[in-house]
Amino acid sequence: MKLKYVLPLFVFIPVVLIQLTVIPFVAIQEVVPNLILIAVVYFSISNGQIFGTITGASYGLLFDLISGNLVGSHMLSKTVAGFVAGYFSGETRREKYLYTYSFTLVVLLSALADAMIFSFFSVIDFNTNFLMALFNHALLPSIYTSIVSILVVVIPYKRAFD
Amino acid sequence: MFKLLSNVWNQFKEYVVLVILVILSLSLLTQNNNPQVQKVRAVAFGSFATITSVFYDLFNITQLKNENSALRQVNAELMMQLSMLREQGILNRELKGMLELKDTISFPLIPATIVSKSLSITQNTVTINKGIREGIKPGMPVLSYRGLVGIIQSCSENFSIARTIKNVDLKLTVKNEKNRLNGIMKWDGEKLVIVDVPRTFDFDLGDRIITSEISSIIPVPIPVGIVSNIEEEKTGILNLIHIKPFEEVLSVENVFILMMLGNVEKNNLELNFYNRK
Repeated sequence: MKLKYVLPLFVFIPVVLIQLTVIPFVAIQEVVPNLILIAVVYFSISNGQIFGTITGASYGLLFDLISGNLVGSHMLSKTVAGFVAGYFSGETRREKYLYTYSFTLVVLLSALADAMIFSFFSVIDFNTNFLMALFNHALLPSIYTSIVSILVVVIPYKRAFD
Repeated sequence: MFKLLSNVWNQFKEYVVLVILVILSLSLLTQNNNPQVQKVRAVAFGSFATITSVFYDLFNITQLKNENSALRQVNAELMMQLSMLREQGILNRELKGMLELKDTISFPLIPATIVSKSLSITQNTVTINKGIREGIKPGMPVLSYRGLVGIIQSCSENFSIARTIKNVDLKLTVKNEKNRLNGIMKWDGEKLVIVDVPRTFDFDLGDRIITSEISSIIPVPIPVGIVSNIEEEKTGILNLIHIKPFEEVLSVENVFILMMLGNVEKNNLELNFYNRK
């Protein structure tokens, strides 16, 4: 079996461990970065749209089961996020979007799609201002996630220079 | 036919995969109450929580678990007793000392530690290192020495997942300790609120909010928070009461599980009453 098909499974466990144990310490008013999404985006750009969509669905389902969330909610949102990130895959685009700061923009877009779909299933309250809800539930976590995703770009470069 | 399908697949395979996975996700969303799904979830989080608990301890250097555990338990028991005393004091005043209430209620508390937190703005859950083996059951209240933290949602052999009060799926009946007015409290994604409170209800800033005995989930008074703001709704006849919780879910590490469930017999009786033809 090719390593690229197994790698996401090996990556998933440490990423979820950090997401559930370390990330709460860096939460700002319950807003936390979504490391699982960053991994999904990375695999989606690296290996293509179908691979990213399936990785997103698998990660989402496993995270739903582990974290006690509504089973299917993260699966749906991460499937779409993986699909969105897949648009930035391809032989010529891969280098451009994976190893530059454009990666953070792709993460931002995918995180927005992820957060909006997830919020739709968790906060359906017609008394809430839709724009405010969009800002609080989707935009803030997405921005935080995309800021953290800079590490994915910076760390390999720093290693190369060292 | 095969050629046609092959062409469709080649041209739209990304969309076909997406549609299949979306349909799968949606069908799973409708199966959340299925016992099989709940069983799989209990096994999954139970297994993973074992790893998480070790990992969490490594990073959670601030806690001095063993030394603090006994003190926290005493604190929690005192908080419960204080809450009960406040309740009894108010009731006694109202009944002008004519009513004698026997303080026969003891609160069995199980100390537990949070081993992981799944934080999002709307769906906060925590995993606790006590499960079915210790007698924990879904529906039991989780509290700290400051106040209510959440409700047990599901259990495995050694671990449990609790919905915190900052979870949009948890709605509780609470009351104003001062004037005994009840209301439904929920997390709206940004703040804890008591919804649809008539403007004639006398709520003031700083009033203590506790769980109500009419609640089918938590039938004992547990402190929840204080009134931090009173917002008038657009209709002009209802208020939205903002609550500042006593316990901050983000920072809580050690909790207690109150070994008490809502009275099934009472709930069934009430349901039968409402359902009778």
